[in-house]
Amino acid sequence: MPGASHAGIVASLHGRTGKTLLARALVDYFILSGGRPYIFDTDAIERRLHALFPSAAHVVDLTIVRDQMALFDTLAKPLSEMRVVDVAYYSFTKFFELMRSTDFILEAQSHDIIPVIFFIPDRNADSFEAGVVLRDSFPDCRFIVVENAFFKKPNRHVKQRLAYKVMRAHNRRYIMPKLADSVVEALEDRNLSISDFMQQPISSGGDAPAVRS
Amino acid sequence: MKPVVILVGADKGGVGKTTLARTLLDYLAARNTPARAFDSEFPRGALKRFHPKMTEIIDLETAADQIKVIDTLSTSDVKVSVIDVRAGLLSDTLKTFTEVGFFDLVNAGEFNFILFHVIGPSIASLEEIGEIRPYAAGREYLLVKNFINETSFFEWNPQLHKRYFKLAMDAVEVTIPKLNEMAFEQAELAGVPFSAFVANRDADGQTANNSLVLRGYVRSWMNQATSEYDRIGLIDRLSDRGVTTQAA
Repeated sequence: MPGASHAGIVASLHGRTGKTLLARALVDYFILSGGRPYIFDTDAIERRLHALFPSAAHVVDLTIVRDQMALFDTLAKPLSEMRVVDVAYYSFTKFFELMRSTDFILEAQSHDIIPVIFFIPDRNADSFEAGVVLRDSFPDCRFIVVENAFFKKPNRHVKQRLAYKVMRAHNRRYIMPKLADSVVEALEDRNLSISDFMQQPISSGGDAPAVRS
Repeated sequence: MKPVVILVGADKGGVGKTTLARTLLDYLAARNTPARAFDSEFPRGALKRFHPKMTEIIDLETAADQIKVIDTLSTSDVKVSVIDVRAGLLSDTLKTFTEVGFFDLVNAGEFNFILFHVIGPSIASLEEIGEIRPYAAGREYLLVKNFINETSFFEWNPQLHKRYFKLAMDAVEVTIPKLNEMAFEQAELAGVPFSAFVANRDADGQTANNSLVLRGYVRSWMNQATSEYDRIGLIDRLSDRGVTTQAA
């Protein structure tokens, strides 16, 4: 759909699944594509995505109605910019409850916005179950199962579960490749901007890497 | 279908009568039941602000306005009349209706009558039950617990609760849940029916600029109210009194 804007919603049932890394990669991808995406960090405690994009990211506390409005009203606004939301694991239920009660998918689609859920299961059985419930709760929403290669494969017991098989069989998938330790370390530097780095990589002349001032 | 009068009232103010009347008008519209409304918040009109086209402001203390309501019941094409009774006037209105012989006509089967008695959390409000109950004898008496203001109905004190609510043992309890304050305020400011607020329409039917989140709150809340009206079989009660008079 030409001219359509996307709302990337990155979520997982538990913490430490690579949500913020994926959200960050999406934001940087949109910046590199020449955009100025709206960025929402729903982790009002750790604010890790906000720390990476301090001037652009909005921190929202989903227990506050005003913040709920700031988030969903902006996500559904008829604007051409992309939108990225990092859904904190403890905001998971609240976020999707709001998404359902606001009829967000319909509203967004009526404004030419395509919502996309990026769901990252971990090795636990309940994360696959949550993924199935989430996908089936929003049949009109694009749903992408993200495989984080950093995780070891789930154990046999989990693999026998129906939910695991359903998530495995889901056709829209994205593999987050395992990163080399040195890259992980570089990315942990909050001052490193991936998009700046991609636009102005360290030259052979030994110039300083692109670091946000 | 016989003409039916739905009286929404309380002797105490601020218990959410008008809010309840608004949910009723939206519900009836959603169930394809045409209704007209009378607002006795004379001369201001609280209900009329939200449903201007179908609402007439009346002063129930004048004979002229009593005629306007009761004499038109059998001639009006619209069979359902919802009357939002001004705060403090419920017992007076019921007295007046008795004096003009309205209840004789109800007993004779000419009209149906449903009373939504909205009670608040105060003892005074609960004491009203005893006063109002006799008027509703043998009729549709629906006792509304309105949680819109985060009300507690002394359920934490079972003895007190029992003392008052046993006066209305055969009444049907209707529970209206709480609506988020900010959503309620916005819907109030918008001055349109709840259904129009949810559909993001202004008073002229144009697209409004209501918050998606607040519309979501109102939508969920309206859904709860709707299932409550479905649960008590309101539509059946409108058309066939006597079949469903036992408490839910």
